[in-house]
Amino acid sequence: MTIAGNVLVLLGSAFLVLGGLGLLRMPDVYNRLQAGTKATTLGAMSVLLGSAFLAPGLATKAVLVIVFIALANPISSSTIARSAYKAGIPLAPVSVRDDLKSKEAAE
Amino acid sequence: MRKLTGLLLMGGFVLYLVSLVPGLFNATTPTALDSVGAAIIEDSRTTSGSANVVTAIVVQYRGLDTLGEVTVLFVSALGVAILASGFRDDVFRSMFADDDGGFILQYGGRLLMPFIVLVGVYIVAHGHLSPGGGFPGGVLIATAVFILILTGQSARMPHRLLSILEGAAGLGFIGLGALGFLGSELSFLTNTLPKGEYLTLLSAGFIPFIYAMVGIKVASELTTVVSVLTEAPGHESGKEEGRS
Repeated sequence: MTIAGNVLVLLGSAFLVLGGLGLLRMPDVYNRLQAGTKATTLGAMSVLLGSAFLAPGLATKAVLVIVFIALANPISSSTIARSAYKAGIPLAPVSVRDDLKSKEAAE
Repeated sequence: MRKLTGLLLMGGFVLYLVSLVPGLFNATTPTALDSVGAAIIEDSRTTSGSANVVTAIVVQYRGLDTLGEVTVLFVSALGVAILASGFRDDVFRSMFADDDGGFILQYGGRLLMPFIVLVGVYIVAHGHLSPGGGFPGGVLIATAVFILILTGQSARMPHRLLSILEGAAGLGFIGLGALGFLGSELSFLTNTLPKGEYLTLLSAGFIPFIYAMVGIKVASELTTVVSVLTEAPGHESGKEEGRS
């Protein structure tokens, strides 16, 4: 139990560190959202699952928070990306394709 | 002359800073509570019946300051509303009112909103048992309403109801405080209600009720602030149609 919990917490922290690194290194809002939401979703879930292993008394709350993160994080990140796109924030110059733009042009 | 005064002030400040330096090297970490902290921890269980000492301090030991805090929040909400009514362009309206937030937010927000309100009510109701209370819980409830505004339903915001709720909560706070005049101490904001059983939901006398009032007040005030900021002038309930 303790070993599994520690491994999960360590794994989650590693994902969170990578997410923070991605926020610094990625070129534009959309790429940063990838790092800032995908990595932290997995990282936070892993840390919570690990703490549920380490402290079984907290397991119910931890699972509830995991469910909430699984629902809320994608919604908020998609809303941020949508409003950034609508506000006209440009893609990084290195981007190669804009599916939404070509889709709207086709309609 | 002014330069001389400035120089003297600057010199005095530098001297003061230099005089603080020795303190950095022989600073010690306190190992015991100071007299006020120890006395409050000793006293709060019997006097307030609240398991959360922070809540006991906020609502009971310095209840008058909390009433002042709530008033400060009211004044700032009033200021935001007055400033926001001065916006003559439709920037905010085009950002919020004419956009439904997209499919994902529409349905995801509607799914999550009741649970966010539930957690907010929980935090308000358990202010005397666990960390939290009226202020964070009220903010959470207002956040849930903000999701509704993001999905483009701000036009349906019941402003009249919100202001009635807000005023009633303020009066409730003062009324609960006035119950203190019924007790033997005859003073405002004294906890005269029965304390109940320690660590249960209905305990700690008037503390949960005052926090409920604070929660209602904070939630309705912040809801008013965000809805006023996201509504364009002349957009509210059609009564100011004549103004361009």
